[in-house]
Amino acid sequence: MLSEEKIKIMTNLAIFEKKEGKNISPAYRYFRSDYISSKMFRSFFSYTLSFLLILALCALYYIDRWLNAMELDSLLNTGLTIGGVYAAGLVVYLIISYRVYSKKYEYASRGTKVYLSKLKRLDKRYETGSRPAGRIKGGRSQ
Amino acid sequence: MTSLLVFKERLKEFYVKFGAYINPVIRFCFSLLTFFLMNHSVGFSSQLTRTYVPFALAAICAFLPYGAIAFIAGVCLLIHLWGVSLEITMVTAVFFLVVGLLYYGFQPGDGYLLLLTPVLFLLKIPYAVPLLAGLSGSVLSVIPVSCGVVIYYIIIYVKQNAGVLTNELSPDIMQRFIQVVNGLFATKEIVMMMAAFAAALLIVILIKNLSIDYSWIIAIVAGTIVELAVIFVGDITADITVPVLELIIGIMVSLVVAAVYTFFVFAVDYSRTEYVQFEDDDYYYYVKAVPKLTVSRPDVKVQKINTRKLQKPQR
Repeated sequence: MLSEEKIKIMTNLAIFEKKEGKNISPAYRYFRSDYISSKMFRSFFSYTLSFLLILALCALYYIDRWLNAMELDSLLNTGLTIGGVYAAGLVVYLIISYRVYSKKYEYASRGTKVYLSKLKRLDKRYETGSRPAGRIKGGRSQ
Repeated sequence: MTSLLVFKERLKEFYVKFGAYINPVIRFCFSLLTFFLMNHSVGFSSQLTRTYVPFALAAICAFLPYGAIAFIAGVCLLIHLWGVSLEITMVTAVFFLVVGLLYYGFQPGDGYLLLLTPVLFLLKIPYAVPLLAGLSGSVLSVIPVSCGVVIYYIIIYVKQNAGVLTNELSPDIMQRFIQVVNGLFATKEIVMMMAAFAAALLIVILIKNLSIDYSWIIAIVAGTIVELAVIFVGDITADITVPVLELIIGIMVSLVVAAVYTFFVFAVDYSRTEYVQFEDDDYYYYVKAVPKLTVSRPDVKVQKINTRKLQKPQR
């Protein structure tokens, strides 16, 4: 027989899964440290690739100037400046990444708690439904 | 006002009933508009400018999220630019990749702003962008809005300089590349518009969150004033000419668009505001509760009263 209350809870769960499923998945798939470190690893590659792309454009733009002034000192200075900019940008970007992914994980943890409480409610309904008829009435079955 | 509220209720009811069909239709229309505007502005690829192509692409986009639509539009833009110049395509592709890697790596879910900004620019109502983004988004919306401004000015630069960019007789690739970069960086409007939009967006967010009556309306007006102020400062100091009539019309339409958005999203009745004060073990609470403006939809039923009585068959 259809249980209207169970259907309500299951619909509620399904809507929650549809809306928040993607956002809460990190909390039950990974430990916090694993999640944040893997994301920061990805951020490192994203930043490095972006930096290389921009560097390639800058190189194309300044190549004439660099070729005309082929002195070791100036090339060394340019290299040091590029390295400095890369390192500073990387530190800033990784700090931002850390904060963003920490917040995402916290959000996911809170969402998982809500999801589990909804599941427990559903589970209780099932327990109530599968009890022997004698127990439902409140008296002991013995 | 009541009739407008009734209209809103009817629209809500209509959306609840047919939401599954309305969303794809909205995405189809928005994508179609985007591809048509793109073809009209920088339609340099003969394959993409065929009449059926925007319809076909929009039909696919109708079933995709806005992030994916922005991606497809970006690829189409690159194909168009490829038809003009390799150098500008390269610069634009690097810009897209860097934005995609550094910002969209965080999956912020606001890809539609990247698309909406150039579209509203091409529709001559760009001033609505920071107002809408401020009312609906967060401070981070500054990033996609600013990127949208850059994309629009790339489109305009290519449109205005297509003849120079396609010239095969111009010097080697390096020189052409330097020419393109210099040309893009010489466009002072980019910085001015980015500054105007960022300032307006921040002001809108700041004011709409204040606990004052009519905060959303005040935020829209203040945002518009800030936009105008920054544009006038740019006009005077950096010698940027902005067509006055276009500016005034654009501002007026943007105000209307923002007001319509406010009506649909944040319609409240400040005259019935309740101030409540209570406490628990840890805090004192000073609560301001503003009721939403709602009306019940008139449920019109036509009851036919038949005066003609049925005659009983005589026996």
